[in-house]
Amino acid sequence: MNKICTMAQAIESIPDGAMVAIGGNTLNRVPMEAVYQMARQNKRNLQLVKTAGAMDIDLLCLAGCVKSVDAGYVSYESQFSLCRYYRRAVEKGQVITYEHACYTVICALRAAAYGIPFMPVKGLGQTQLMESNPRLGHIQDPFGGPDIAVVQAIRPNFAILHVHYADQAGNAMICGPVYEDLLMVQASERVIITTEEIVPDNYFRRQDIKAQIPAFQVEAVVHAPKGARPTAMPFCYPVDEAEVRAFQGLGAAEQLSKYLEGRREAAR
Amino acid sequence: MIRLSDMMTVALARLLRDGETVFCGVSSHLPLVAALLAKKLHAPGLVLLNIPGGVNPEKPRLSRITSAGSELWDSAAAEMTLAQVFDLSMRGGLDVAFLSGVQMDNRGGVNASLIGDWRQPKVRLPGGAGSAVLIPTAKRAILWRTKHDRRTFVQQVDFLTAKGNVSDVMTPLCHFVACQGELLLNSVHPYTSIEEVAENTAFPIRYKVLRKTTPISDAEMSALREVDPHDLRSIEF
Repeated sequence: MNKICTMAQAIESIPDGAMVAIGGNTLNRVPMEAVYQMARQNKRNLQLVKTAGAMDIDLLCLAGCVKSVDAGYVSYESQFSLCRYYRRAVEKGQVITYEHACYTVICALRAAAYGIPFMPVKGLGQTQLMESNPRLGHIQDPFGGPDIAVVQAIRPNFAILHVHYADQAGNAMICGPVYEDLLMVQASERVIITTEEIVPDNYFRRQDIKAQIPAFQVEAVVHAPKGARPTAMPFCYPVDEAEVRAFQGLGAAEQLSKYLEGRREAAR
Repeated sequence: MIRLSDMMTVALARLLRDGETVFCGVSSHLPLVAALLAKKLHAPGLVLLNIPGGVNPEKPRLSRITSAGSELWDSAAAEMTLAQVFDLSMRGGLDVAFLSGVQMDNRGGVNASLIGDWRQPKVRLPGGAGSAVLIPTAKRAILWRTKHDRRTFVQQVDFLTAKGNVSDVMTPLCHFVACQGELLLNSVHPYTSIEEVAENTAFPIRYKVLRKTTPISDAEMSALREVDPHDLRSIEF
């Protein structure tokens, strides 16, 4: 089955209010072209899920697409520093942060992948995250041990991942760090793959290393060369620093549509 | 003239022992360089773990932008994903986790989450990343902070992101060690004084024996230049 479609078509399938897990980590292998498209299509009330996000979350907050963020860390790291659009949206009360410990995002996704309602998590002994994040709680150990913290399952409606290779059916391969992408595939209801390269149908059958993402779990495949830009794509391109800076310099939401238009032109 | 970043990096490297499993996360260039330095100097069997999942990357060309990128994966021989590194810590197999925060108190409490009340934060910070599970489960959680002032070293944190097995806190001025749940001053760096540390710390400074941090040796300095030729240890300053 041929699942190749345009970015616009793939993103149109995401309704307002959807819970969306975004692949990659900080400024690394993030499906940015898909993120741009969500902003262009003016999505509303998205519930974003990620261990460590940066420009993806920041941009969608600036575009007003976001209702909540489940994450352990939201920042561009040292060099590009804080996500100020995200920060401003949270401080104004427009976006809800469910702050996690990165691992509790992982455990919440695992719970979804395992088909169970919650997952016990060690640690979390002395932290106010237990108060501030309603997805965290405690349960009694039925086997007589001490009480243990739990995290509620997070089953995203969609996972969007940017990969190196995919065939038209959706078999997909990531080279280099996989971060939480493969877990997101198992945890999410529907999976959208954007890919640097479309490979022939029998490509993976002839390889010693197989696609990590099987086609039957994938709903849409978008051919998106440079689809992670301006974040880094291992073995393909580094972070486009000027581009990140240009985005950080926008200031207001009114500037964003022009910026997004510019990205569309650049992609042509 | 000793640079603050060099002193902090070298002093952190000295805390790491041969054979230990050591995790460095996001935005962690300085401890990452410290771990590479320790490996070069006295801890060749140190096992460096990280977010991209490259176990023991060899002579990585570190990126200025991220400490979670593929440069830490490329030259590794084996992969251990972030989820697996967390699992390792949960079952007691992680010796050292490097973490930071915006506020720290003298009971080893860390705030990396927000300023003000959590229901309506005045300032939203990036978040504690793995802190809330790693600080209580790693055998030693080593904190670093490149600012040493009264806004950072506070009487009480606005929000407790994490607390637990903090063993050491390294700052540009000094090194605290945890002793029975309290941070005690262990040493002040060669270019400063206990008075300067006290002036810049909002909690009371207590110590058992006051030492000066051992100055950086020539061997340490040349190894440091070798593992971090582009001075990424200084980017937080």
